[in-house]
Parts: sequence; C-alpha cells; structure tokens
Amino acid sequence: MNYLNLFRYWRTVLVVAEMSIRMQFSDGFVLFAIVFQPMIIAILALFMLKDKGPDFAMFVVVGSGLTGLWSSLLFVSGNSINVERWIGTLESLVGAPTPFDVIVFGKNLANVFQSLLSMVTSYTLAAFLFGYSLSLTQPLLFFITLLLSLFAFICFGITIAPLFIMYRSVQQWQNAMEFPVYIMCGFLFPIALLPGWTTPLSYLLPPYWAALALHGTSTTMMPFDQIAFSWMMMILFSVMDLIIASQLFKIMLYKARVDATLEVD
Amino acid sequence: MNTIEVDHLKRIYRAQIGVFKRSIKEVVAVEDISFEVKAGELFGLLGPNGAGKTTTVKMLTTLSIPSGGAARVAGFDVVKQANEVRKRIGFIFGGERGLYWRLTGDDNLRYFASLYGVDPSVSKKRIPYLMELVGLQGRGNERVGGYSRGMKQRLHVARTLLHDPEILFLDEPTIGLDPVGAREFRSVILNLQSQKKTILLTTHYMFEADALSDRIAIINKGVVIAMDTPSGLKQHVSDLSVVEVETFGASEAAIEKLRALPFVDALSIEDREQKQMLLVQTVRGAEAVPDVIAALEGQRVGRVIVREPTLEDAYVRLVGSQS
Repeated sequence: MNYLNLFRYWRTVLVVAEMSIRMQFSDGFVLFAIVFQPMIIAILALFMLKDKGPDFAMFVVVGSGLTGLWSSLLFVSGNSINVERWIGTLESLVGAPTPFDVIVFGKNLANVFQSLLSMVTSYTLAAFLFGYSLSLTQPLLFFITLLLSLFAFICFGITIAPLFIMYRSVQQWQNAMEFPVYIMCGFLFPIALLPGWTTPLSYLLPPYWAALALHGTSTTMMPFDQIAFSWMMMILFSVMDLIIASQLFKIMLYKARVDATLEVD
Repeated sequence: MNTIEVDHLKRIYRAQIGVFKRSIKEVVAVEDISFEVKAGELFGLLGPNGAGKTTTVKMLTTLSIPSGGAARVAGFDVVKQANEVRKRIGFIFGGERGLYWRLTGDDNLRYFASLYGVDPSVSKKRIPYLMELVGLQGRGNERVGGYSRGMKQRLHVARTLLHDPEILFLDEPTIGLDPVGAREFRSVILNLQSQKKTILLTTHYMFEADALSDRIAIINKGVVIAMDTPSGLKQHVSDLSVVEVETFGASEAAIEKLRALPFVDALSIEDREQKQMLLVQTVRGAEAVPDVIAALEGQRVGRVIVREPTLEDAYVRLVGSQS
C-alpha cells in the first residue's frame, strides 16, 4: 500500500470500518467468532490453570484475546472478500476509485477493534466468574504494545486478503490455518514448550511478536529492551506486509479482471 | 464529441476443464465490437442472451480486461487509465444484488459516497435528494433487506449518481421489475437523459430501447450487426407488414408449413400462457392473410391482425438472418 493513501483516504477508512461493524454486529457467525469462541477458550483454559494463580489468569485473558484477533482476521477478513463476491458488491468496490487495499484496511480495522471484545470478555470472565483480581504489570507499555499489535494484525490480514480474491479455494484452508498460528505464536502457552526447530518459524509470524510483548507487559516485568525489540519487529513486519500486499493487490486484481473472478460463476 | 469510443474490442474467456487431463477451453464472448457514443446521447445495446452485451459493459466499466482492441471512456483508456475512468462513470448491473442488505438505504449511499470520495458535507445533502429522485424518500432508514426488488433497483440508481458521473452504464436495469416498477424506472432514466448524462443502456425489452434510445447497436455472437436510430433500424423492415395470428396449441408441423410459405420473410412465436402469437413478417401485408389461415388449417385460430413493423420486428429480422 502507498502509505500516503492511509492519510489521503483516512475518512474512507473510518466509514468502511463503521459500516463493517454495523453489518457484522447483525451476523451471528461473526459474533460467535469474536465473542463466544474466545469465551469458550478462556473458560477451558481458566479451568485447566485455575490452581496456578492470577498471573496465569492474565496470561489466559491476553492469550484468548489474541485467538479472537486471529480468528476474526482469518475468517471475517478473509470471508468478507468472498461475501462481497456472493452478494455482488465486489465489482462495485473494485470499480470505485478508492484503492482496494484501503477498503480492506478499513475492514480489518473494524475486525481487530471488534476483537478487542474478546479480551474484554475474557477479562470479565476471569475477574467475576473465577474471582481473580487482574492487574497489568506494565500498563502503559501494555497499551502501547496493544496499539502496535492491532496495527501489525491489520497489516498481516491485508497480505492474506488478496489470496481470497484470486483463489476461491483458499477458503477450504481457513480452518487449517487457525490453530497452527495459535500454537506457533505462543498465544496460550510459551513456544519454549514446542520442539526447537519450530522457533524460527514462530519468529517469522508477526502475531508471535505481538503475543510475546503483550504477555510480557501484562504478566511479567519484561525488560524494556526486549519490549522495544518486539515493537521494532512488529513495525518491520507491518511495513513489509503493506509493501507485499500492495504488489499482491495489483497483480491479483488485474488477474481477477482477466479471469473474470470478481463475480460468482 | 465522443464520450465512449470502442475500437474492435474482443474478449475471450479461458477456463480449465477436466480433472486428470486438464485442458483450456476458450469461449469468445465478444468477437469484434466497435461503436462510438456521443456526449449526452442515450445509446442502446440490444442482443440475444450470450450476445456479449454484459461483457462489453464490464470491459467499459474497467471490471474486465479486453483480450484485444481498445476502448476509451471520457477520453481515458479503460485498461491503462482505469482509475480516471472510474471517477467519471456510474454503473448498474441488473437485479437486486450489489447492495448491503444488512445496512439501511441511507447507510448504503453513505458508504458508496465515501468510496467515490464525495465530501461528507456534499453527501449529506445529496443522499436525501437522490432518495427523492428515485422515489425512496422516507425509506432511507430502513434496512435494504426489507426493500422490494424495485426499491433495490432504484437504490442502485441513487448509488450510481452519488458522485454525479458524466457517463452511466445501465445493464438490463429493469430486468425482473413488474410493469409499474419498470415504467417508474424508465421515467428515472428519462430524467437522467434530460440532465444530459451520457447513458449506455442494455436491455432485452425492445419497446424500452425504442422509447429511450437515441441510437441502438444490435449485437449478436459478439459482433455488431446493425447500428442506427430506432427509426433507422425500423427501415430494415419498412417493406414488410406483420401478420399477428393468435393460435391455441398450434402443432410444430403447422408452424413449419407456415414458415415454408414463399412470402414469409420471418416467423417468430410468442408464448402467452395457453395461446401462442405467431408473428409473420411478409411483404404481402393483408393479402397474405388467406394463405396464412390456409396453412394453419386444422389448428384453432383466434384473432388475426395486420400491423406496421416495430423495432422488435427489425431485431427479429436482423438477428434471425444471422442464425
């Protein structure tokens, strides 16, 4: 994406996000992915870890929130392109003068902000249902990390979206893409528990750096240099994602117009 | 001045077929189409199903890449300067789809206004104006899912006018509408025509094309087979009269016998519930009636009318001569 587009089309990004939220809040599946699924994961994890104390409860709260973020991005953002195709609006979006990646950015913005609901839901469950008193170890750094994480997730989602435009069969792989990221990125347990050969793969996934810094600033006194390194990695991956997405969108939208895949057969 | 210039446009679709032994199947949707539309003109594109009308519109609206030839809209190339074209056009593809049913009518318009870069202060005034223009005043805060088909199609018109485009592409905009809805829709199109918009209209309805179009191109099998004003196209059949014969369950053999008569130029059949209307084009006019009746001997025949040819008769003759 041309970064200037984000500034030039900021108003459009906000309108797209607003309308996406309005539409999704009337969709039962989306509510399930964003609210109920993370709630179920949080309940299961909190039961399993109930003897381990409030630190683990906060770990679960943050971790289940991250699962909600990733599920939302994968299913809602990915499906949103196909939904646009099914309801016949994809052509109207592609045929509008606003760059398509700006529209997808707005949609992803809506999704990640809705996913914050997952974290709030899990927090409420842990605090009231299980009686934990939850507090953040480094609140200011946590909120900075949270904002950077949301941006990193949005950008990661933008690289996935073009694949859904061009290859309708990618949808079949959505379920297979959900849990490996939960596991590889250390959402609900540290990646140190995984075999050593998987660690480099985790480093290549932007959600890993988000999970590392969010867990570090919420449950432990993570040293600032490590937090800053995670921030840097998130920014680096976000920039790379936007550059890659920009090229993918150009290629794939052109190919979709050649192959006539903007509409349902 | 030409607002739309289409120069030997061609579109081939390629699809992979087979599971184990894959091969590419090519379908030529548009073979070779050329035409020009002047500023402020309402240009009709007529043709049977599969003739290439929608494919042509998709190429002109930048949604499909031509396989050959070139096209310019508002002076811009539809492939190389797609974004410049998009700023200046509006398009509607017939039917109910293409709107967000979970959003209200007003929210749909606000969303698309934003995508077309319309300033919020402008869209705030323009949305109620357009809702009134298309007869949806007072319904803007209802979800589109609850709209009738006609209301949705009228909302499409409002959507496409949000950025006040110079050029409109209307692809079968009245398809599926009831007669009253279609009439209201045509009055909206006439209103747009009076605002000097350049409009390219595709339709299956001949009377609609006849009533609205300044000029018409008839396309068949991906090529233009005739292009003229509606009255100019009717000249193709000015030597003919049409004998309309109402029959009830006429047999195939009787129809073939009628078709084989030497003075029958073309014969088309309209099914109307229990009866069929046989439309016989002939140079003999009323003199042909006794022979037509004789050819239908043994069949149940109702009213017989001799009339002047219409655009539809010209269309039947032109497309029929290609088949």
